[in-house]
Amino acid sequence: MRAFVAMLGIGLTLSAVSGAQAYHRFWAICNYDAPTFMTTMTRDAAQDYANAARYEGYQWGGGCWNYDDADFYPNDPPEQVGTHGEGGDCSGLTFKTWRESTDDWRDGRYYWRALRNVHGPYTAADFRTGYGAPNHTVAKSTAGVMDAFASNTHIGMVFIRSLYGGDQIVEAKCESCGTNIFYRTYRSDSAYGGVGRWGWTG
Amino acid sequence: MRRPGFRSLAGGAAGIAAGVIGGVVLASASTAGPTPVAAGPPLIDATHVPPVLTVRGEPVRLRYGLVCTPRGDGLPCDGSGTVYLRAGQTGRFHAYPLERGEESKDGRYFLDVPAIFASSPGGFSYYAVLRDEATGATVSIPAGGEGAPQVSRPLRDPVTLDLGRHVFGETRAPNGRAAHARWGSSADEVGLAGSRELGFTGPSSFDVEPDGTVDLLDSVNGRIQRSSHGRHAVVTIGRTAELADLAAEPNGSFDVLDAQDTLRRYRADGSEQWAQKLAERTWARLDRGSEVLQEPSEQWMPLAETDRPLARAEQRRAAHFDHHALLVDRVGEGELRVAQLRGNTLARSWRITSDTPLGEVQLAEPHGNDVVVVTHPYTDDRDEFVVLVLGDRGLTERFAVASGSWTETAPLARFRLARGGLYRLSTTPAGAYVDRFDLEVPQ
Repeated sequence: MRAFVAMLGIGLTLSAVSGAQAYHRFWAICNYDAPTFMTTMTRDAAQDYANAARYEGYQWGGGCWNYDDADFYPNDPPEQVGTHGEGGDCSGLTFKTWRESTDDWRDGRYYWRALRNVHGPYTAADFRTGYGAPNHTVAKSTAGVMDAFASNTHIGMVFIRSLYGGDQIVEAKCESCGTNIFYRTYRSDSAYGGVGRWGWTG
Repeated sequence: MRRPGFRSLAGGAAGIAAGVIGGVVLASASTAGPTPVAAGPPLIDATHVPPVLTVRGEPVRLRYGLVCTPRGDGLPCDGSGTVYLRAGQTGRFHAYPLERGEESKDGRYFLDVPAIFASSPGGFSYYAVLRDEATGATVSIPAGGEGAPQVSRPLRDPVTLDLGRHVFGETRAPNGRAAHARWGSSADEVGLAGSRELGFTGPSSFDVEPDGTVDLLDSVNGRIQRSSHGRHAVVTIGRTAELADLAAEPNGSFDVLDAQDTLRRYRADGSEQWAQKLAERTWARLDRGSEVLQEPSEQWMPLAETDRPLARAEQRRAAHFDHHALLVDRVGEGELRVAQLRGNTLARSWRITSDTPLGEVQLAEPHGNDVVVVTHPYTDDRDEFVVLVLGDRGLTERFAVASGSWTETAPLARFRLARGGLYRLSTTPAGAYVDRFDLEVPQ
């Protein structure tokens, strides 16, 4: 009996080790469906898509969420893909909202469902330089709805300009603040550049 | 050491097997939590930038965006809407349907305001109700509807100021340093978080009390650092407050508005007195008196009355456009309109244009008989702040201030006006600083 109890403890420890490797496993309910190719892509439909991701959390390197208005695993340790929590990161949210391809040479429109786990090939710094066929830089003063501001560490999309001259930005900001629409002053911050997506149809 | 018997080996093996199976079952139970797709109420939201200050003769087009539950076919909402307009700020509203345009870059739904309202000497007030035809959901903007409508006023003989092209690099040095702290967690230090990959955050806001005490919101360490004449005291608030805003109230309490849209009132000793959610989804600025500039309504709303927090419906009902009796409207790429009210009358106004694009208005407050405005000229790779002191005849004073921010702060928390001076929060890899710029003594 003593041997059973001792080994039971070791067994539980072993199972916990394997659990730590998979961490939260929110990604277990995500899928890898093919995107839907589309001929249209309007800025307000992109607003709809990004707005629905609000409150769904932030996951470094992530791009999968449901629509329950809650981050199932908030406050994970930052900068760890292995936590497999809910939500996109800043560039993942932008990639999916902008309906981009995982191939950086394609500039078509690919609609990814919320639970499709995809981050895309771009970092915030890539977006900042306009890297990839669907992306380009824009003058910050001309950036409008669903254009974006990107630095070497972050990207957020313009939800709407604001009365006092800042912008309401929809962004996956950080583990503790999640994905939401925040008032930001990226437009006038020289760390940020203006970025756009080719191919809006309205 | 005794050799293990068959029973011991069998018991051990059974123990390991039971442990692993039990662990896996527990782990499975914990991962069964997330729901694949929630079927909640339909999403609906709206966007609108109100033309708070107009120029006489200028056509006025109201534009709205409608935001709803994403459609499976990837198309935008099938929406409609009505704007309710009236001349001035009293009387009956008149309904006008919104048109649906082909483009959504500035808002797909629009109404050209009829001249009878647009040219009204007292301006006009209005609100809109938008509807998603697919779900029947509706949204009012501003949220207070006819009880707290948006207001548009025509500038009356404004003082016109042309700032020309901003010359970068000619910034004014501060007159003094009111507070400073190195990065760290001891009593005289202030916290730094983040990384080169994520960017850094430090103190996210500050305020200056009437006696000159500088209160720095040490967001990372969850406290307020109070500095006066080189002495430091710490008020622990017991929670981190990343990118939160701060206001020091006259009775010694502190208001902290966090990224989760909650305003917390702390007593002078740091104990929490109450917490209240904002009426709206987004905030831009917290000011004394628990006043918060909220979006999408783009109105200032009080969150407390004396020491009592106001419910969200109460905040909406008490919404207003002016703050410190000032109306502010940043227009286009490089224009700023400011008007000062006396009672409900537009007493004087300024129309400021710049060849260099202007970003946000960090601060607009009265300073004696003058008005101090801090705005943010920028190009694609440079930015500075410019301080404008507006008087009856034009600019009383103008100078540029280096942006000087190594860490991110709350959006409109870089400057505070107090004790006849302008205070600026800045950060470097070495620490955080609050500097004072003396302003000319107002008339």
